[in-house]
Amino acid sequence: MDRVLNLKKVGYRYDSGWALRDVSMDIDAGELVGILGPNGSGKTTLLKVADRILEPQEGDVLLRGQSIQAYSRPALAREIAMVPQENHFQFAFSCLEVVLMGRFPHMGLFDFEGERDMAVALEAMKAAHCADLAQRPINALSGGEKQRVLLARALAQEPGLVLLDEPTSFLDLRFKKEIFELLSSLKKERGVSLMIVSHDIDLSARYCDRIVLLDRGRVYAEGTPGEVLTAGNVEAVYGCPVSVDNNPVTGSPRVSIL
Amino acid sequence: MGLQSSEEAEMGTLGKPVTAAKVVKVSVVLITILVITVIVATMIGTATVTWEQLWNVLSGHARETDPAKLVIFRIRLPRIILAGLVGFSLSLGGVVFQALLRNPLADPFILGVSSGSAFGAVIGIMFGFSFTFGIPALAFGGALLTMYLVLVVGRKKIGMESSTIILAGVIINAFFTAVIMFFIATAVNDQLHTMLFWLYGDLSQSRFGELAIAGPAVLVGFVILYCFGKHLNLITAGEEAALHLGVDVGKAKLVCFLVVSLVVGLVVAFSGLIGFVGLVIPHLCRMLFGSDHRLLMPASALGGAIFLIAADTLARTVISPSELPVGVITAFLGAPFFIYLLRKRGSRWTGS
Repeated sequence: MDRVLNLKKVGYRYDSGWALRDVSMDIDAGELVGILGPNGSGKTTLLKVADRILEPQEGDVLLRGQSIQAYSRPALAREIAMVPQENHFQFAFSCLEVVLMGRFPHMGLFDFEGERDMAVALEAMKAAHCADLAQRPINALSGGEKQRVLLARALAQEPGLVLLDEPTSFLDLRFKKEIFELLSSLKKERGVSLMIVSHDIDLSARYCDRIVLLDRGRVYAEGTPGEVLTAGNVEAVYGCPVSVDNNPVTGSPRVSIL
Repeated sequence: MGLQSSEEAEMGTLGKPVTAAKVVKVSVVLITILVITVIVATMIGTATVTWEQLWNVLSGHARETDPAKLVIFRIRLPRIILAGLVGFSLSLGGVVFQALLRNPLADPFILGVSSGSAFGAVIGIMFGFSFTFGIPALAFGGALLTMYLVLVVGRKKIGMESSTIILAGVIINAFFTAVIMFFIATAVNDQLHTMLFWLYGDLSQSRFGELAIAGPAVLVGFVILYCFGKHLNLITAGEEAALHLGVDVGKAKLVCFLVVSLVVGLVVAFSGLIGFVGLVIPHLCRMLFGSDHRLLMPASALGGAIFLIAADTLARTVISPSELPVGVITAFLGAPFFIYLLRKRGSRWTGS
């Protein structure tokens, strides 16, 4: 399998202290990897390091075998896209305009969006189930609708890897499931790799191929959901007693707080 | 569904992505309006110029001593062109500052950039520098200094809080205005024509020599800023989002801040402080044409030129033969208009 992203002994320090220490992990093509861990365990920092929003003081990040430092910003945006937790738009844009922003790294200085850009954007909106929102102002959308538009914007970048920072945290049950179903189908149909930070342990367990469990900036455990989500691991990292069994319907690990 | 369809009707063309053809179309319409405004403004004033006189002068048939020729070339045209340039620059500056700081309240006047460059220009005059190089250079320096101070004072530990930046701008604006007043009050030098010039703006001292410097510089500045139209669109969606989408945010911001300070600094050196243009015109254009900077920048700049020429024509005719400072007119028209616009179009398309 093709290796997309490769973190080698990455360490990142804020003024207040180390947020990531000695983190090594890989993401292969067509993989859905969940990043779990309690608040402050370094999940969001990990995503920012992966897209060079933050530059680690230690270690190296390789994108398709090449140091991420060697990429220009637009070149990086053609490889990696980000779906943020929330994106507030100060000025009014239609959803189609927002999705077309994803075409920026593919366009020249004086280019206007051409037919292909438009086709890619509409196709991304279809894939993210938000084509019907194209003409609506982004600020008028509900949380679930907005999240799908932001996902479509990421897909319009035509990236090999999509990073998602708690995309489901403001959503209700149905939308949460919808987003994970969507990610799962994107992975299968487009061969896109996905790295998702989430607080939804059960949904991550069900949909992710692999789980990386972070604890205070270090990788505590890594592997399939079944390997990582043991009662011992979860209790140790989250500091609260749990029981883990298998969901009788889906068969994936189910974590219950005791 | 009722809500959705009324939303779409309200949007009209706003939701449609901007095309090159649309930019050209809007620009041509606005340039036509601008030319008409210039012609009308040339004809009205204390001494009325008739169509026939205007035609004679423009076609070169008028004698050297023709009073109409003197009025048009010596008095009115330089002033009208300066008004156009100043309106163009302040409005463009408003659009760019609003995008860079992600704040709809930003404009060269409120951020203190105007008073900073006026401060530079006053110093230049005190030292007897020339209007061809020294004073514009100092005005640019003053604009840059203010921009730097605003960004440093307004910078919090993590990122930039844009309301803090506006506050910093207001404070620095007040400080520089006080410094200018001090200089004016203590100066016996009659080169500082009037206090009103600096504090309310005055376009009556325009000369072609100055226009020959400011004009090309402003146009070059516009072209550079226009190259960053798409970058500005993405920066308004957040600096981190812009990075993820492939914008080299640091570089884009540096270039835009430098160029916009240069453009604003230059025109303020010749016009004094004129408020409201950079606030009202960009908002009006955003409501008419949407938020895409590739259309918003030319539309606002041309709209600002039209607006300030019209305002200055009013300023010199409304209590003729005396004159009002043009800043009085812009504030007088601008403030109520702004409130009207805010109330008329809800908040959905203005984003607040």
